[in-house]
Amino acid sequence: MGSLRDVLSPFTAWKHVIETPVTIKNPIGREAADRYRGFHQNDTDKCIGCGSCEDICQNAAIDMIPVDNPKDGDSGLRPQIDYGRCCWCALCVDVCMTGSLTMSNEYTWVDSDPDAFRFIPGVDKMPWDDFEKGYERQGDRMLSGLTRPEMAELEPEARIGNFDEIVAGYSREQAVLEADRCVECGLCVATCPAHMDIPDYIAAIREGDYDLGTQILYETNPFSEVCGRVCTHKCETVCAAQYEGEPIAIRWLKRHIIDNVSEERRLEIVGTPQVLPTGQKVAVVGAGPAGLTAAYDLARSGHAVTVFEAQDKPGGMMRYGIPEYRLPYDALDRDIAVIKAQGVEIKTGTRIGTDITLDQLKADYDATVLSIGLHLGRSTRVPGSDAPGVEAAIDLLRRITAGEEVPVPKKVAVIGGGNVAMDIARSMARLQKQKFGEVGVTVTALEDFDHFLADKEEVTESFEEGIEILDARGPQEIVTFKSGKRKGHVKGLRTWKVTSIFDEQGRFTPQYDEGDEMVHEVEMVVEAIGQMADISLLGDELTEALEWNRGRIAVDADGHTSEPWLWGGGDAVHGPDVIHAVADGHKIAASVNVALMAKAEAEK
Amino acid sequence: MFSFQPDRSQYPDVGPDGKFEIDLETGKFLKLWHGPNHPGITGNMSVELTVNGDEVVEGYTHVGYLHRGFEKLMERRTFIQVFPIVCRVCVPEPDFNEYCYAAAVEELAGIEVPEEANWIRTLILEMGRFNSYMMAMGGIAGALGNGVIGQWMTYVRDLMLDRFEELTGARIYHMFILPGGVRAGLPEGFEARMEEVLQTAERYLDDVEKVLFTNAVFKKRTKGVGYIDPKLFESYGVTGPNARAGGVAKDVRKDSPYLVYDQLSFEVPVEQDSDIWARSIVRYRDLRLTIDLIRQILAKMPKGGEVMTSLPNVLHWKIPRGETYIKGESSRGEYGYYLVTDGSGYPRRVNVRGPSYTHAMALLEHLIPGTNIADVAALMVSLHTYPPEIER
Amino acid sequence: MKREALSKLTTVEEVLELVAEFDREAHGFYVELIPQVSKSIRYIVEDLALTRLEHIRKISALAKSDDMRDHLKDAIMRPEADRKFSDAVQTPELMENPDDQGVLQFALARVQLAIEEYADLAANTPPGPFHEVFSYLANEESKHKSDLEALYYEIVHSGGV
Repeated sequence: MGSLRDVLSPFTAWKHVIETPVTIKNPIGREAADRYRGFHQNDTDKCIGCGSCEDICQNAAIDMIPVDNPKDGDSGLRPQIDYGRCCWCALCVDVCMTGSLTMSNEYTWVDSDPDAFRFIPGVDKMPWDDFEKGYERQGDRMLSGLTRPEMAELEPEARIGNFDEIVAGYSREQAVLEADRCVECGLCVATCPAHMDIPDYIAAIREGDYDLGTQILYETNPFSEVCGRVCTHKCETVCAAQYEGEPIAIRWLKRHIIDNVSEERRLEIVGTPQVLPTGQKVAVVGAGPAGLTAAYDLARSGHAVTVFEAQDKPGGMMRYGIPEYRLPYDALDRDIAVIKAQGVEIKTGTRIGTDITLDQLKADYDATVLSIGLHLGRSTRVPGSDAPGVEAAIDLLRRITAGEEVPVPKKVAVIGGGNVAMDIARSMARLQKQKFGEVGVTVTALEDFDHFLADKEEVTESFEEGIEILDARGPQEIVTFKSGKRKGHVKGLRTWKVTSIFDEQGRFTPQYDEGDEMVHEVEMVVEAIGQMADISLLGDELTEALEWNRGRIAVDADGHTSEPWLWGGGDAVHGPDVIHAVADGHKIAASVNVALMAKAEAEK
Repeated sequence: MFSFQPDRSQYPDVGPDGKFEIDLETGKFLKLWHGPNHPGITGNMSVELTVNGDEVVEGYTHVGYLHRGFEKLMERRTFIQVFPIVCRVCVPEPDFNEYCYAAAVEELAGIEVPEEANWIRTLILEMGRFNSYMMAMGGIAGALGNGVIGQWMTYVRDLMLDRFEELTGARIYHMFILPGGVRAGLPEGFEARMEEVLQTAERYLDDVEKVLFTNAVFKKRTKGVGYIDPKLFESYGVTGPNARAGGVAKDVRKDSPYLVYDQLSFEVPVEQDSDIWARSIVRYRDLRLTIDLIRQILAKMPKGGEVMTSLPNVLHWKIPRGETYIKGESSRGEYGYYLVTDGSGYPRRVNVRGPSYTHAMALLEHLIPGTNIADVAALMVSLHTYPPEIER
Repeated sequence: MKREALSKLTTVEEVLELVAEFDREAHGFYVELIPQVSKSIRYIVEDLALTRLEHIRKISALAKSDDMRDHLKDAIMRPEADRKFSDAVQTPELMENPDDQGVLQFALARVQLAIEEYADLAANTPPGPFHEVFSYLANEESKHKSDLEALYYEIVHSGGV
């Protein structure tokens, strides 16, 4: 078989003898390709320690290790990589929420110590730390969603003439999509004042298990209807998803859970106290979020709790401060109904200090909790601020809620740039629309829009509703009529331009330019610059006996005041914030509980 | 003292049940282990031969040396975590696993892949086929003592690995075809550098033609040796070049086009003799075709667009109940992934259909009796099998 | 009042000594005020008294230093801007049962008066050590005003969240 050609042809291979060898003499040091997946790099300043890299690693090559000097909104952990396990698949790089984790194109590393190959990129300094070349994610993060579903809201025309709730809440589809984006890092849990189990209840949404979700919510917060709508959502400011997209809409997801569980079902899930009554009595002054949360916890521990509330209905600032279009009263009532079901007695229309004294509470109850909120409005005290026609925002809001008649003129000026200013401006705008068919509200704020205190959406929605907001303007005088039948009544508001709001030390101290003066002609001026607690109920003796901390009642970490029978919390002690008040309520309840147990023990 | 050996052709005796009667005690037979450590075996398996002189009377294939269990590993990993391990099912041509798995997941999860990603996937698969055939060429030559071809092919394969490195960021396990698309587009100037590699490859393939296919020894050792009766193809599940060498023009790329194969023009090479020679020449022609396909892809593909779709959050990605079988034409035949999902975050079952399972186990056992010991290696290499996909 | 007394003096040391005396009086005033206000806001009055005390120490140190004029010039080179933030709310008389805001309004009015007096003295003094020391004192009081205005903003304009 075969021709002569078949015998000779193979010898042509010999021609390769005279060719230059193709082998590389020294392969060590050959530079890898530009996008080679080599040794890891981590920009530790960008890294937030969310642990998504650890989660995705199929070899368990990554461990999150505590490091020094964590920054705010950071877990304080950084990924440690074990090159005995790593397969260089780079899913850790792809999933990285901040884009801090990358890979250099370095691939040779010689060391006699096997432990050296387990290291924390970016923390343990490596020769390739500053290499430009290597693998990094191209374009956007693809392994989890970037944007949140848009929340359905009432259009400005549909909402301006009434107090209907603006936000519709997520549908099941939207909620699942949004819940899906969560990487369960738990940074939010650490940041939430009440430490709600956010990733867990978000997981419950994904599973469609709203009963479980409700159970999780109630473990840390009896005000999910409220917080699902108006929480300041500090959690969202640390969310890992915000770095290359929008933070998870945690607040709306919380609301979604509670929206899907009927009031009856909620009572079944939460149940009633499962302990024997202790026979001990606790008085709570003020039926706001702090007081009611403490009452809820204490009632579930078997104590008889009585809440004293000066207003006609419970809820405190949640009812009398927050307008109905942000937080409908029936939503608040549903939260409070569960608390009442624990046996908490709420005595409304009872003002401590006038109807009953604190001394009486001290005598009649085993412990007293003071959660009185910040119900006095601050006044600018500029000339004319005591004229008729000048109102305090907090007072007006309360009257609107209580159904009292409030004056509604055609032109109103609001002084202030916080959320309360927006609340009263938008409430007045609605009343004006109902009465005159048009809106005439001007908000003047000290702060410029770059440093505005109110939430962004509040500002946007106010503009949509036809409210004029003038930033960086400081009140100088409330001008009044000097003669005529309206003599002494408000005629307008005179303001100066604020040229800067920080002083040399970086403190907030507005600086005025008197050359830029405006007079806003209005019939009513509403002051919405700040609030303070009405501490008159304490009386001179107790005020003197208590320790104070820069104008507020001093409490220890558990909310205990310097008086052994008195605890304090909420806005009056820690400043305005619902979720903070809820957290205070839990702390106080725990502390009261310990004190009462000790007391019962001592009395045996 | 000198004594005549009895005529070997009368052994072994055929028993009443029609099977050979092999009694090792007689000293007429010898058990010979071909592998697992043997240059003539492809990967981690072995063949237990019973020889009578230099004639093989019986052969059993043994697998189990890998200790991996990929399919079971996959059931314990989330859908995204399976991605880095599938490539390890086949070392020389790992990309097929990535493609089949990704396509299966995409189908069950309802994910659309950008057009450009499909072109890049096709390119990657053809580059992988190129590498695999390079190894097959070197292997068949090496199995018959012609070592230099193996060295040439290794060199050319290395050049292609450079292209893999710059495109995918890795040389062997590319981990580049992800559910949803691919990780990146082509780097700057990739086409020109690829063309250089293809031209070098063609130069070496010309030499292969002269040194291997115009070679009396090679012809003598391969023609008519290791014949597979085309009638067996159906029952043994023979696919790919092994079938095409027997006159059956089976090719998934043509028969049920996937990715962008319907936009490429090509004819499937077919030979008739169904022996080692025919199988080698089919592979050689297929390799030439692959070079042509790579050129076609680079010329026709869109560039600079999206190559990846945004996935749901992969950390808790659940895929609805379903099952699918995704197949493609690998260098060894039909390669497929059967994926079953149960609505949870983990695959319920992944089955890898590697062509080596049938080719290297059942078929090889069938072909071995009656061959010469020296031909076993060539026979096995001519089937072009990779044990990890048998023992997955 | 201050102006008359100060304009009669002949040396810078005497001026500084008298200014320290004024501050001692102010310190005494605030110290006496402390128990008269509610305990909840005493921290403000305590701070005001402390500030005066610090000012006395600073002036004493300045009078004793060898390179006093360098210090003076150095301070004048970086004048404190008048932010005018509190100008509309200052009250020269302390209200009855003052609250935190009231105390600050009063303290701001006092410091404003001091600024104006020192600035006026500086304006009416020819260039030289006296001009420098009055300018320096006006500047010091302006700094106090800034501090107080920052506190005023923090307490009164809490934003009303």
